[in-house]
Amino acid sequence: MKKFMTLILALAMALTMVACGSKKEDEQVFTVGVVQLVQHEALDAATQGFTDALKEALGDKVNVVVKNASNDPQTCTTIVNGFLADKVDLIMANATPALQAAAAATNTVPILGTSVTDYASALEIDNWSGTVGGNISGTSDLAPLYQQAAMLQELFPNAKKVGLLFCSSEANSKYQVDEVTKLLTAAGLTCTEFSFTDSNDVSSVTQSACDNSDVIFIPTDNTAASNTEAIANVVLASNTPVIAGESGLCKGCGVATLSIDYYELGKITGQMAADVLTGKADISTLAVKTAPTSTKQANMANCQKLGITVPAEYTALATE
Amino acid sequence: MAFLTSLMNALPGAAAQGLIWGIMAIGVYITFRVLDVADLTVDGSIATGGAVAVMLIRGGLNCWLALLCAFLAGLLAGFITGLFHTKCGIPAILAGILTQLALYSVNLRIMGSKANQAVGVDKYHLAVSQRYVRELTLSNPLPVLLLMVVIVVIALYWFFGTERGCSIRATGANANMARAQGINTNADVVLGLMLSNGLVALSGGLLAQFQGAADVGMGRGAIVIGLAAVIISEVTFGKIFRNFGLKMFAVALGAVIYYFVLQIVLQLGLNTNDLKLISALIVAIFLSVPYWKEKLIHKKGGMRHA
Repeated sequence: MKKFMTLILALAMALTMVACGSKKEDEQVFTVGVVQLVQHEALDAATQGFTDALKEALGDKVNVVVKNASNDPQTCTTIVNGFLADKVDLIMANATPALQAAAAATNTVPILGTSVTDYASALEIDNWSGTVGGNISGTSDLAPLYQQAAMLQELFPNAKKVGLLFCSSEANSKYQVDEVTKLLTAAGLTCTEFSFTDSNDVSSVTQSACDNSDVIFIPTDNTAASNTEAIANVVLASNTPVIAGESGLCKGCGVATLSIDYYELGKITGQMAADVLTGKADISTLAVKTAPTSTKQANMANCQKLGITVPAEYTALATE
Repeated sequence: MAFLTSLMNALPGAAAQGLIWGIMAIGVYITFRVLDVADLTVDGSIATGGAVAVMLIRGGLNCWLALLCAFLAGLLAGFITGLFHTKCGIPAILAGILTQLALYSVNLRIMGSKANQAVGVDKYHLAVSQRYVRELTLSNPLPVLLLMVVIVVIALYWFFGTERGCSIRATGANANMARAQGINTNADVVLGLMLSNGLVALSGGLLAQFQGAADVGMGRGAIVIGLAAVIISEVTFGKIFRNFGLKMFAVALGAVIYYFVLQIVLQLGLNTNDLKLISALIVAIFLSVPYWKEKLIHKKGGMRHA
């Protein structure tokens, strides 16, 4: 049996060598592989923006293949393996585990990340200068945390205790919570973390967050975003206002947000991809970009329910 | 032809992933087939192994020693499940679920309250990395993994031949009979669970290095892949391999086949939203084949007697 396995492996390796030799002559059409961690509104929007921007820049000269790992980090590895076998010209990794899988697999094929909050901890870079270097760059979905913390203080000047609600399995959320805690603690507020494991304990953790806080802050957390209804049922009933990290969350259960647009973020990534493919930009010196700051938004229906009046500069979020 | 070349290109990566999961599947085989216990601890212990290995490597420990520590952490996880089951009288399946649940928090603690910890191949010397899977150099993970699987199989084959190992097998085969022979079946169940979870954690440590990060969610659905590998190996190699050692090796090959099929499905360009459905179908087909075969044989036999 071992002989048989060895034979198969040898055959696979030999064919790999053959494939290396016969690289396509016609280099006109680029193939771009997109590996996305999970089916999710924000991530889907980023992928859509990426594809649209790339098609706009390169038209028929680019072929985008989108594959979704259905929330399995292992499947990201399998997908990336397939992309490399297909000799894609560029990999777009949507979310942190996807980026890590791609980075582990190749140091030659250009990789652009998106929806990744903190490149330094995702790729373990000690002296973060804003550029990853090597074959990796991308866009960060880091919400303007400083402005969000300022917004919380502006809307609720009398608040003393802030509850930070997030899912413990999301690295990005923990990072944002840590940053916001620093900012708010410096301003003299007391911050307490309330982390839930999955959708099953969202309600009970939210309840204890409401009981112990004047205001709740939720970062750009995927699990929270999928459970806004459950959160809304608790926070609205106990009259606790929520400042949300993104508009989807705010629409569902928040009162105000200062969020980034994932579609725009995807578009920026797509333009970067076009520049890298056509040789206009060198990926090793390309800095990680963030989305342009968006406007302050408020969920007017929830504000009314909780008796909060927001300044006129806030735009109303479209709620159906 | 283009499809075939791309598939051939993808096979080394799928083989490496399969071999890593093969070690995990051998662990599942020990509880599921040898001990006849359904142990769900593995979803947690695979992430424990990954977390321990990554944190130790980041702390500067040698990658092989880190893997050893991952193995030890897995033994401990199995020990807890064993205690729940034998000392607290909790049914095995529930005991496993309880430990799995607890391990989520433990894993977060190990990883310093972070859900994801990276371990880059550029920064550390790693035992295996996906980076080199297509290269014909010494750092290619395939020979290393194949060697590890062979060592694990040989070590287990030796162990299950010792008096202690035989008593574990006897406990799994017929607990009442084993007790009648003066075997402490409770101790054997605990030992079997420990060994199984140790292997699962070892595979978790390899997996984290292979994909460059430990994630608290990396064990989600691991038991399904492990069981699939066991079933696939029994359907494919059940008739060929009678020897106990070869059976365990076949389980590892079962995991390789699972990842080959998955990779083929992916390369065929099917919508990845259907991936879970397809995975379930693969397992369902392999599960039904022996049943249908038996039914067919039974039918024929019945007619002959009539």
